[in-house]
Amino acid sequence: MSDAVKSTVEEADGGEEGRTGFFGRNESPKNRKRRRLITSLVVIFVGWELFGRYGIENRLFFAPISEIFLSGVDAWASGELQGHISASFQELLYGMLLATGIGIAFGVLIAVNQSVREHCDPIVSALYATPTVAIAPILITAFGLGITSKVAVVFLIAVFPIVINTTVGIRQTQESFIETAYSFNATRWQVITKVLVPSSIPFVIAGIRLGVGRGIVGVVVGELFGADRGLGIFIFEAGQTFDAAPQFLGILILCFAGMTLTGLLQWTEKKMAPWHHFSLDKE
Amino acid sequence: MNVLENKVMMEIRGLNKEFTQNDEKLQALQNVDLDVVEGEFLCLVGPSGCGKTTFLRIVQGLIEKTSGSIELYGQPITQRSSADRGFVFQQDNLYPWRTVIANTRLGLELAGMDTNEADAKAMEMLKLVGLEGFEKSYPRELSGGMRQRVNLARALTIDPKVLLMDEPFAALDAITREAMQTELLRIWREAGKTVMFVTHQIDEAVYLANRVVVMAPRPGRIEKIVTITETTVRSEDVKRSPEFHQAVDEIRDIIESHEREDIMT
Repeated sequence: MSDAVKSTVEEADGGEEGRTGFFGRNESPKNRKRRRLITSLVVIFVGWELFGRYGIENRLFFAPISEIFLSGVDAWASGELQGHISASFQELLYGMLLATGIGIAFGVLIAVNQSVREHCDPIVSALYATPTVAIAPILITAFGLGITSKVAVVFLIAVFPIVINTTVGIRQTQESFIETAYSFNATRWQVITKVLVPSSIPFVIAGIRLGVGRGIVGVVVGELFGADRGLGIFIFEAGQTFDAAPQFLGILILCFAGMTLTGLLQWTEKKMAPWHHFSLDKE
Repeated sequence: MNVLENKVMMEIRGLNKEFTQNDEKLQALQNVDLDVVEGEFLCLVGPSGCGKTTFLRIVQGLIEKTSGSIELYGQPITQRSSADRGFVFQQDNLYPWRTVIANTRLGLELAGMDTNEADAKAMEMLKLVGLEGFEKSYPRELSGGMRQRVNLARALTIDPKVLLMDEPFAALDAITREAMQTELLRIWREAGKTVMFVTHQIDEAVYLANRVVVMAPRPGRIEKIVTITETTVRSEDVKRSPEFHQAVDEIRDIIESHEREDIMT
């Protein structure tokens, strides 16, 4: 190896910005992350396709990814899929908006008011552990087959992690931050809005992420108990006709929705809480 | 002109503070009398447990006194009516979610001032403490010394009559601390504030102060007030002068005589 080549290699290895990738080129951390994600997806999809063709050949249980994709194209062309996606999306959106608004407000109240906390804290913990989806049938009966009943299910299932996380986030606020505000003659309300709430943002967002995961379950379970449209119904109907491909299509769409929303919340946290850094991350 | 000839701004008379801990009464401060003169730099020194931080917190209104009176320009100090006092904490306590300028304007913002106006005043103070150009940075991007400068600017921004500083340089390394001491003297002269400064470092107190209040523990009380003769512009050279070491030794003797008593009993 000539000296010139050697020194280039060393530079590439020691560079702060990026490391020498598998293909011997310099890449940014962002590109590296993207490349690794794509690698994982390709491996999963190719494995899935091969397993569907040569592993489980019975179409009652499994379908290769190509057939799932084609069933998606069909359902989209007929206009059926869009309706289901839009119904489920609305249920999730309105349910999460309600859960976030009420969850944060209630969480703050529990954290700062001793009377409210002593009245409600044990009950919130109990309800968090209760399988709230079990009351979905009652909500369907009460609110009907439209989206209102599913919004109620999503709200009920997603609100508790948000309440609990908000409370924890507020109560972990550094005592000396509060004292600093008091040294400037802050009122109790100012301490809440200027100190407690901002300091709890990372916790609140983590609570919303937990809530979204549970909310997606709520959408599907709610629809299974009764709905005229939605991805839950789409999956259920495909199951009735023993067609595996559309069932997996529905599951993959829900999975994708979960990933997108989680990504969106991570991005929101970076924007709203840029001070909140995890030192084990390399970036 | 000697600053100590100015008029008295704060009168403290018969101040007592008792804590109850595990059913045991602890006399944190006993019968403290003190006059603070307008524009002076007053240092409070003493060993741990002498009540110097408690004293400062009572003056700020962060904790309540048990008995006695504190009057600022003839007005009794009530708890939390703190617009005329600025407190600089030992930990900088900067809010990590606020930029430097947003941290600096905190006091004015809490007092209900319009953000633009508050930012203009905050900017002035950041210039005074030498942090122009860092207003948009977040605290985690700053060094310990810079963070303490913001802490100081935040207290100065509300334009207090007296600045209360609780061991603000204790967490800094020795070199940064010396630089900050000199900076503080410059800022004190430019801002023309009265300062009450708590420290457990005798040389720091002698370097900074016009007067050093020596406190003793169990019960916390004022033992002696030492006037430092050098009252004009100070420089690092002062620290090499025999007068400086004489004053340091005098205060050290007072403190050590009590520690010997403590060990005997």
